[in-house]
Formats: sequence, structure tokens, C-alpha cells
Amino acid sequence: MKTRHSERPPRAAGRLPTGWNIRAGRFGAMRVLYRLQALVALAGVIVLAIVLSPRAADGSNIFLEAGNLTDILRQVAVTGIIAVAMTFVILTAGIDLSVGSILALGTSVVAIGLTRWSVPLGDVGRIALAIIAALAAGAAVGALNGAVVAGAKIQPFVVTLATMIGVRGLAKWLTDNANIDIGFGQDVAAVFAAFISRKVVVIGSLLVMAAVFWLVLDLTVFGRYVRAVGDNERAARYTGLPIARVKIWVYTLSGLLSALAGVIYAAENHQGNPNAGIAYELDAIAAVVIGGTSLMGGKGSVSGTGVGTLILGILTNVLRLNNVDSNVEMMVKAVIILLAVAVMSRRKSE
Amino acid sequence: MANRVLAPLLCVQFLMLTACHSPAPGIQSGEKQLFAAFSQCNNAEPYRAAQNALMTKLWAQYPDVKLVIADAGQDDNKQIAQIETFIREKPDLLIVAPNERAPLTAVMGRAVQSGIPVICLERDILEPNYTTYISADNRDIGRMAGQFIVDYLSKKYGRPQGNIVQIRGLLGVEAEIARNDGAHDVFARYPGIKIVNDAVADWIQAKAKDRMTEALRANPHIDVVYAHNDPMAVGAYLAAHDLGREKEMIFVGVDGLGGPNGGIKKVMDGILAATFVYPLCVDKAVEVGNRMLRDPSFKPDKVYTLHSTMITQQNAAEAYQQLTFTN
Repeated sequence: MKTRHSERPPRAAGRLPTGWNIRAGRFGAMRVLYRLQALVALAGVIVLAIVLSPRAADGSNIFLEAGNLTDILRQVAVTGIIAVAMTFVILTAGIDLSVGSILALGTSVVAIGLTRWSVPLGDVGRIALAIIAALAAGAAVGALNGAVVAGAKIQPFVVTLATMIGVRGLAKWLTDNANIDIGFGQDVAAVFAAFISRKVVVIGSLLVMAAVFWLVLDLTVFGRYVRAVGDNERAARYTGLPIARVKIWVYTLSGLLSALAGVIYAAENHQGNPNAGIAYELDAIAAVVIGGTSLMGGKGSVSGTGVGTLILGILTNVLRLNNVDSNVEMMVKAVIILLAVAVMSRRKSE
Repeated sequence: MANRVLAPLLCVQFLMLTACHSPAPGIQSGEKQLFAAFSQCNNAEPYRAAQNALMTKLWAQYPDVKLVIADAGQDDNKQIAQIETFIREKPDLLIVAPNERAPLTAVMGRAVQSGIPVICLERDILEPNYTTYISADNRDIGRMAGQFIVDYLSKKYGRPQGNIVQIRGLLGVEAEIARNDGAHDVFARYPGIKIVNDAVADWIQAKAKDRMTEALRANPHIDVVYAHNDPMAVGAYLAAHDLGREKEMIFVGVDGLGGPNGGIKKVMDGILAATFVYPLCVDKAVEVGNRMLRDPSFKPDKVYTLHSTMITQQNAAEAYQQLTFTN
């Protein structure tokens, strides 16, 4: 990806969404306010969690324990990583429904690589090979998505719906419909599971991916192109932006990160699972839109997606700490999600 | 340009997606070739995959019987359509593992009316639209698990008391309801036994790991984890292992599948303290079905109820041998 230079983003002819203007000034007051709104919603949920949290025997707040807070980050890491890349896809006014299936493919490929490929590479080499194979498979599916969306001009919903089905089938076919348990013994898979499932690795992956994608979106030409394509594709075309290339890249990145999420899933759960990740596309899309990114494209941010991801994770955590009835949990979640979105989207009326 | 290349590719992909299911068999004429049709609700579940493997293996003993398995992919409409196709093909025996009770009741009635002997496998339907029903008793399994847990706690503390985390399957599903109710039939008699966290993980190992993590944070002392299937029990174990607390408690699951990824192996490995075999029902179905095929005077019972086996360290290795099937 290129670094930032003096090119300005193209202005959409005739339609100048306020969100775009706010974001164009890097240090504008409106922009600070916009950021704060997301933080206000997040802070609200955190305060709620602190108040609702049960206490330990010594009176300390269980929600605020470092162990619990890192539990939350670890639990949201898989969906969070997918959601970060999904933000780019949705910014181009696209959607990627195949992420859950690609995650399943990633878990399956890495498990097969660890258990069935005997290559004389040593533990590190075998683990690296299995991970690279999984990531490559995910990126390839993503590139296919992008190529068909950009080349054949078929709606992203339809294209990724097809790959969602086909890749799920591929994962099941590769594994013969069965889970592949890994890492319960003393083999190379155990080394893989023990290392990758460490909190610092899981949370680190999420934070690094979020930071990289945030910087790419806000500071690089590619990031500006991503927004421009979704904001007004026709205007972007007249300006001569490489629309097809941008689209192929965002879907490839989405596939790549979904497979990365799959690798982490496999390590954390000690299994390659062709049925993993069903409906994760909805979780990821939810995190993105709760974070204020518009499904119409053009408007949104990685930081918002981070907030959306955390709100969902914190809510689940505190309701479960309290052993709330799981049906009530769903209803409470629905209310709080709507409240959070309402707080974050108030800027639209300004 | 790209359209010309990609459009055929996509078409091929769609064809591959739609064309790969269950080729309809022609009924061989001439020799006495028998045709047994098996409508399976969802190949994707490991339990169902084990059923299919055992079914294939057992029917293979009878070379004159041709077995066809159709996978409904957990979709009632698809299963109804597949059974309708089977009815037109007039199999000598139809075995149905219904996806859901209500939707499958009518079409199974039509199969019976058209004179096809029908075995209802494992899951009941609303009306007795079958020749025989081979059932496994989940409530009984729940009671066995509950009793095992009570015995363990009584031994540990000298009397039945302790903290249990229950991890439930998908709410409202028969197996989840019965495995919950069965265990509670037993727990209810012992006020010292407390369910300190009642989590729902929809049968999924990864979800169970997350829900168990919270249960561990909120409860400084846990004696037993009772999960409604083995993968969820393993997920709970992984959560406790991550926090270094797996030795504090035991993990009890249900299903007891064989094979390297099944629950029995996890008992052998010392990860689960016990699992309870949910009978595949297939051996009984093939035994009864084979007699129905060959002996016109044979009248099967209306219902056969199969019982579970408890698997612990003592009998795990032996059970592993018996319950591991490969195609």
C-alpha cells in the first residue's frame, strides 16, 4: 500500500455527505466530537458493566479484574479481526458474507496441515507452513470474491453468498465432515495450540490488525480510495481511481483476516472445525454498524468498529458473570445495542 | 472481458453446489436386489456422521441390500422432498432420522400409507406414522449423569454437596430439555448441590469455552461441570485449563462418540471424568430392518427403547474399540 501524499480524496459530485467533510479535517472540532461520541457509548456500557458486576469474596469488582478484562479482549478477538477487515468491505458499499465459511476453512486447513502433512521442517517450520497455507487459502477465496465483484459486476451480496456456501462445502469436504481435534497430545499441534492460544498472542493479533487497518484507512491513499469508492463510485470512476483494484484488495484482505481468525480459533479451541463460524458474518457486520459505519458505504471508521466489537463483548461478559437467564440476556443486549447506536448516530441530525 | 471468463466459472461453481446430493438409485430388477433408503436429517453433526458410518458398515454385510443415504442438511423442507422422492422410488425399507417432529409427521404417514415399511430413528414424531420407532432416552441419560455427579460429590465431601456449572445445548431442543430435566430430577433431592452457573452454549465447543471462562471468574469454587454434550465439556475444560483450574473440578459430558475426536477418547485422555453414550440406534435399526426385509411374518415392536452406557476410565478403552467406526 502507498503512503500518504498530497492527493485529495475525490469529492462526490452533487452529494457531499457531512460525515465525509467532518472526517476530512484531521484535527477538526467536529471530528473530535465524533470520536468522543463513540467513546461516550463505550464508556456508558463500561459504567453499566462496573455497576452490574458481581463482587468477589474480598469485595473487589470482578468485571474490573485484569484477568476478566483480558478475557473480554480474547473473546472478541476472532470476530474483531474479521470485523476490522469487514469495515473496509462495507466502506466500499460492499458486504462479505463468506467470512464465517473462510474462518472454517482456515481452521480446517491449519488442522490438516498440523496433523496430516509430514514435512521435514521441524516444529516451527511445520507450524509456519500450516498457518501460511490457511492464510493463503483465505486470501485466495477473498481474491476470488473481489475479482468477481469487480470484474463481473455481480452484487457483492450474491457473490459472497455463493462463496459462503461453496467454501463451507470445501471445508467439510477437506475434513470429511468431522472435527479434527488438535493439540491434546505432545505433538507439533500441541506446540501450535499452546503458543497461538496465549492471551498475548490472541489479543496482540487483534490490536495489531486494528492498528494497521486504522492507519491504512486514515493515512494512506489506499484508505482514501476505499472510502471514495463507497461514497460515490461513479465520481470515483470519473476521477480515475483504480476501482477494481481497490475492491479486489478489500475482499482479499477480508479473506486473509478471516483465515487468520480461523487460525486463532483452531488454536484456542484445539480443533479444526468445518462447522465453525456459522453466522459470524452477522456478528462482524453488527460490530461494524454498531460502530457507526454506514452500510451504504463511504462513512465509517476502524475505531468505531473497535468500539462496536467491545460493546458486544462487554455486554455478554457482564450478563454472564451475573448468570442472567440467556433469553433475558438476548433481550437486554438488543436494547443496549440500540441505545449505543442511538448515541453514536446523533451526529446525523446536526 | 472479465465477464466472459468469470461467468462460466460461477456457473460451474453453482452447478457443483447444487448437483452433489444423493443420486437417485434405479431399483435393480432381475435379482432380488433390496433397496434400503435412509433419510438423514443432518450429516454435519458428528453424531449423525457416526450413524451414517455405522449404517454403511452394517448394511455392507448384506450384499443384496443397496443402501442410499440422503442428507437433508438440517432442513425440514429438504427432508420432506427427499422422502417424497423415496416414496416414488418405493424402497423396500425406509429409515428416517427426522429433523423435527411436526414437519416430518405427515410425509412419514404418506410413506406408511403407500406400503413402505418405515423405521423412525432416534427422534420421535407427533403421530405414530412409522412401523417401528427406535428411541434413545435422553431423560434417562440426564438422570445417569446426575447420579454420577451426586456419587462423586458424596465421595468428595462425605455428603452430597457442591457447586455445579451446567452448560446447556440449544434451548428448547428435546435433547437439551431432557438432559437438563433428567439431571435435575436427581439434583432436586439434594439441597446441598447448587448450580452456580447455568450457561447456554448451543452445543458448540467454542461458545462453551467462552461461557465457562465467565463462570470461572464469577465462581471461586467449582466442583463439577455438567455439559449436555462432549464438545462443550471439552470447551469448559480448555477454559479451566487456561486459568490453571482444571484440577479443581471434573468435567462430565454426554454423547460418548468413538473415534479420535469423540468423547470416549477424551475420557481415555483424562480430560473428561465421564461421558454417557447416546445410542446411535443404528445397530438396532439394521437388526430390526433386516428382519423386516426378509421375514414377511415378522412384526416389530412399535417402540424399542435403547439405554445409555456410562463411560469412565474403567471401560473407556474397551468402548473405544467397540464404538469407533470408519467407512
